[in-house]
Amino acid sequence: MTTTSTSTVRADSVATHCPYCALQCAQTLTANPGVDGANGVIVEGRAFPTNRGGLCQKGWTSAEVLTSPDRLTSPLVRGVDGELAPSSWEDALDLVADRLLAIRRDSGPDAVAVFGGGGLTNEKAYQLGKFARVALGTANIDYNGRFCMSSAAAAANRSLGVDRGLPFPLTDLASADAVLLLGSNLAETMPPSVAHLAGVRGRGGLVVVDPRRSATADLAADGQGLHLQPVPGTDLVVLLALQHVLLTDGLVDADYLERRTNGLEDVKRRSALWWPERAEQVCGVPADLLRDTARLLAAASPSRGGTGAFVLTGRGVEQSRQGTATVSAAITLSLLLGLPGRVGSGYGAVTGQGNGQGGREHGQKADQLPGYRMIDDPAARAHVAAVWGVSPESLPGKGMPAVELLASLGTADGPRALLVHGSNVLVSAPNVHRVADRLAALDLLVVCDFVPSETALLADVVLPVTQWAEEEGTMTSLEGRVIRRRKAVEPPAGARSELWVWAQLAARLGAAGTWDTEPSLVFDELARASRGGRADYSGLSHARLDGDEALHWPCPATGDGEPNHPGTPRLFAESFPTPDGRARMVAVDHLGPADDLRPDAPLYLVTGRVLQHYQSGAQTRRVPALAGAVPGAFAEVHPLLAARIGIADGERVRLTTARGSLAVPARVTDSIRPDTVFVPFHWAGTGSVNRLTTDATDPVSGMPEFKVCAVDVTAARVQPAGSARPTAGVPA
Amino acid sequence: MTRLVVVGNGMVGSRFVEDLLAADTSGRYDITVVGAEACEPYNRVLLSEVVAGKHDLSALTLPTPTSPRLTVLRGAPVSHLDREDRVVVTTDGARLRYDRLVLATGSAARVPPLPGLRSAAPVDRDDPFPSDDLTAGVHALRTIDDAREVVAATLNATRAVVLGAGVLGMEAACGLARRGVAVTVVHPASTLMERQLDAEAGRVVELAMARLGIDQRVGVGATSAVVEGGRLTGLRLDDGELVPTDLLVLATGTVPSTTLAASAGLGVDRGVVVDDDLRSPDDHRIFAIGDCAQPPEGGTGLVAQGWEQSRRLAAHLCRDSSTSGNPSRTVSTDLARRSSTSGSDVVRLKAHGLDVVTMGVCGSARTDDPAQRTLRLSDPDVGRHVEVVVSGGQLVGATCVGAGAVAADLVTTYTRRTPVPADPAYLLLPALVPHQGLGPSSPADLADDTAVCRCNGVTKAGITACVRDGATSVAEVAAATRATTGCGGCHDDVCALLDWLVPVTSPEGAGTGENHVTKGKHMIHSTETAGS
Repeated sequence: MTTTSTSTVRADSVATHCPYCALQCAQTLTANPGVDGANGVIVEGRAFPTNRGGLCQKGWTSAEVLTSPDRLTSPLVRGVDGELAPSSWEDALDLVADRLLAIRRDSGPDAVAVFGGGGLTNEKAYQLGKFARVALGTANIDYNGRFCMSSAAAAANRSLGVDRGLPFPLTDLASADAVLLLGSNLAETMPPSVAHLAGVRGRGGLVVVDPRRSATADLAADGQGLHLQPVPGTDLVVLLALQHVLLTDGLVDADYLERRTNGLEDVKRRSALWWPERAEQVCGVPADLLRDTARLLAAASPSRGGTGAFVLTGRGVEQSRQGTATVSAAITLSLLLGLPGRVGSGYGAVTGQGNGQGGREHGQKADQLPGYRMIDDPAARAHVAAVWGVSPESLPGKGMPAVELLASLGTADGPRALLVHGSNVLVSAPNVHRVADRLAALDLLVVCDFVPSETALLADVVLPVTQWAEEEGTMTSLEGRVIRRRKAVEPPAGARSELWVWAQLAARLGAAGTWDTEPSLVFDELARASRGGRADYSGLSHARLDGDEALHWPCPATGDGEPNHPGTPRLFAESFPTPDGRARMVAVDHLGPADDLRPDAPLYLVTGRVLQHYQSGAQTRRVPALAGAVPGAFAEVHPLLAARIGIADGERVRLTTARGSLAVPARVTDSIRPDTVFVPFHWAGTGSVNRLTTDATDPVSGMPEFKVCAVDVTAARVQPAGSARPTAGVPA
Repeated sequence: MTRLVVVGNGMVGSRFVEDLLAADTSGRYDITVVGAEACEPYNRVLLSEVVAGKHDLSALTLPTPTSPRLTVLRGAPVSHLDREDRVVVTTDGARLRYDRLVLATGSAARVPPLPGLRSAAPVDRDDPFPSDDLTAGVHALRTIDDAREVVAATLNATRAVVLGAGVLGMEAACGLARRGVAVTVVHPASTLMERQLDAEAGRVVELAMARLGIDQRVGVGATSAVVEGGRLTGLRLDDGELVPTDLLVLATGTVPSTTLAASAGLGVDRGVVVDDDLRSPDDHRIFAIGDCAQPPEGGTGLVAQGWEQSRRLAAHLCRDSSTSGNPSRTVSTDLARRSSTSGSDVVRLKAHGLDVVTMGVCGSARTDDPAQRTLRLSDPDVGRHVEVVVSGGQLVGATCVGAGAVAADLVTTYTRRTPVPADPAYLLLPALVPHQGLGPSSPADLADDTAVCRCNGVTKAGITACVRDGATSVAEVAAATRATTGCGGCHDDVCALLDWLVPVTSPEGAGTGENHVTKGKHMIHSTETAGS
């Protein structure tokens, strides 16, 4: 595939990948300077195993963000008049460094916090973690992946010993007899991936669990599979009931369980509590449908003669205060069926952000060092400190996870300064009213971005950075494959790579160690730092990745004269990377949402995505075709609810939770449960559904419960003057 | 450290221990649980599934919490309770001192006073296991041993009678029938499951039972068991009929196990009387939960109520900072209790081939409340009967027979108190309809704004316009609109649209090159797509 793909790239074109989601569709970019000298680029899909040449509307239009009219091209510094005004790089960097030094001197190193992103390249994610620990000396670094992959990561680490979203190539799905998709709407979020489900749909084996009859659920219609439409927040009950049926009906892979797992007895007892008729009362999925689903999965499993089965989770089940428990139950289900480690079967988490996988491996998590090492492991500290040229004792310990970190900003004991990279927390975090208050309480907010995101507009200093087609680097896709991002055009004058920004700041802060700005050199250092870790990249380099191999981590370095390690497309063939080599099944139980229904909020609010937008929308809202297709937030409302509150399709509804209120147009559709409304989260200000979401978090992963809270829904014909409580400094 | 003793290690007792350990984050309680049965706690609700042959017994074992603060004594029946010394005494003489005592002694199978049922007389009414002395061939279905014996009996029995057609009787009858035993149900009340079903719903269930091959004697009681040579041979009914049988399963209700409480002088009515805080009004140190308890709203005999009480009591015991306990400070409001206990009276039959769900206002237990509105869908010919009772914008009761997914929807509406539709008649059918596929069979019938290519947001109108502008092939449509260039799933639909559009808008023979559109070419494309 890669051989043909490179040969189809024209001499003046580069082979790279889409800037958006973790599917990382392959693209060919050809520079096409506009009449005004702007950096236009022609985008084409490129043959690649994951996207097979396909692109969705976001990918096709991705180049338009390069030339967005409000592209940041100069540092901005907030003046005494309170306005952001252009500044030179020298002045802006001096200012930032001086303020950081002063704050550190007065309040200690942890008074400076860093917030990263899952869209940063591996090189940037790595360098940002190093910058925080070495140049700033702060423990307080976390990233928006906490809102994305943290529950799946925590559960996979404790049960399977490693967290690689898909521990198998996506193309493996093609031969399966069953694919169970929990809380993933990939037909909207990564459309080209749907092609991999053609086989299983043809065999009637696609099972979609989603409170909405989403575009993905529709793929299971007409005999192509099953759709289970549970009450929001009860996916764990569905899983426990499926476990119950497998165990009581004797449908498990007993030999596999005996050889490869621990924890069966506890799991068996816990699931004894969730017979299908009881589960039905809690999750709303008919008991017979639960039984049919369990039997379909069992029939597909290799131990019972099927061609294979997959269990896949997405944010829908993970963004919950019981997200880690839910993923643990999904993994347990896959282990009961004997799937992980068998070719053509398995468990996987469908990673969301473009570099959501790599972003969680190289040290921008509060508790991790590069190579997916834990920061409280003395051996890991010694290894990484040696690569960084500092003493292990100088490295800080665990910092606060994202929601806790954001909640502590500007408080008496919390950080006084925050550096934000590749994230738009004012839109993407839960309960954004509170986030706005905390950001406003900071002494210094520095935001690196390429467009004036809502968070950037609140900053004291905004630093304009390069994006996607203007830079070199690597990304790690949803299947753990390390791929190259390549430069197609020059960045606009004034924009700089974050690698350069950190090198400049490190020098001003008097930091130890080396601060390369060349991505291939940073990657080489990353590879050394990862050596021996769970995510071992030490056998990789930009040069090797530029060849024709499909390289999935771990890919350790080999000795001189030995052949290169071929990478690891499939994990767990022989054993699990746990202390005893066995997978650990963790017995869990259902707790339910933190903010459950009550008389004055008798409906569920769920949030999610639309095809045309990505994350906080900072990029896609700037693409006219995408913004035109879906210009703002809306609420999906069942016809029975619409009739009860007296609204018609397109009329506005007011949604009110314990945290805020929002008025948006209703989309009346029978695809949603009558007790539930859905609002996508890509918009800011008065269109931001994260004004309503709860910041209750999972006790293990720190994942906020974006996906369910209690809401009241009324007609909003009379528009009040202000639709929510005033939020200082938030642009409308 | 507060010493807390739990008497009873069944579904509710063991659950309470788990709940208390989880709620007691400050490590306040030192817990001892004593259970009469020697085995680990098991899921009694699933015993009928064992009879049906769907579960083996090992699948019933429940979680057993471990903690340094917990002592579990199994196979240790309690002989008496000394409230003066605050001591629980087991039959083997162990004395367990308590500061708080939780009774979770459950209930026992009720054995009706019919001649022939018991092998020995007189009956000791205080015996905690009153089914021990049953005639050979007669079995209760309350314990794991009962289930084991019933299953063993079916190996030889060809005919069985189930006495009592409440929830357990119905499940047992269906389970035995599933094992190939000829089953007769004998039920003295005029309607099957009369606590849950009214006459009309009951008749629909009777028909469904008949379809499963289960004989029924409804409205007819039993007068005696016929015993020959020490073994059961039949059951005599009060209309004089003799039903021959080798196996009689008693499903004639349960009796709360209150002997311990009563002999210690605690107030006992049907169960151990407790207040809203699950506390005995006679002794502020003693609580009762589960089947043995009689709270102000009455016991339902359903495990959901016991588990709800368990959670509530654990939270209460860990919230109350006063070690002496002050009843006046801890009484819950009636509203809070009603709201927290809502939905624990849902009855869901687990019976192969029989789909019955009831909740709230249903069956014989209904009053003439003018605020209530009752709506019914009666469809006996296919075995369907749905009734909903609505009051104040809320669902307050429902009866579902053969209703499928509607029942699951109604349970969530009822237990979560979500608002009912403006016209509650909509509750009688599923609100969630399955996807209807592609809808119109001809492209001509598609609305112009139908999204043909979701990935790229291309509508039928967009493709029509593209063809009008000269496109004649999928490749040309893709180049102009990007339709088919995402997941490729709309390829066939675009082909169908082209077949419909192109002959009209483009003269035949206009294209002869690589991309010339013909029906046959589309078919080849489609095949490739499907096979790739």
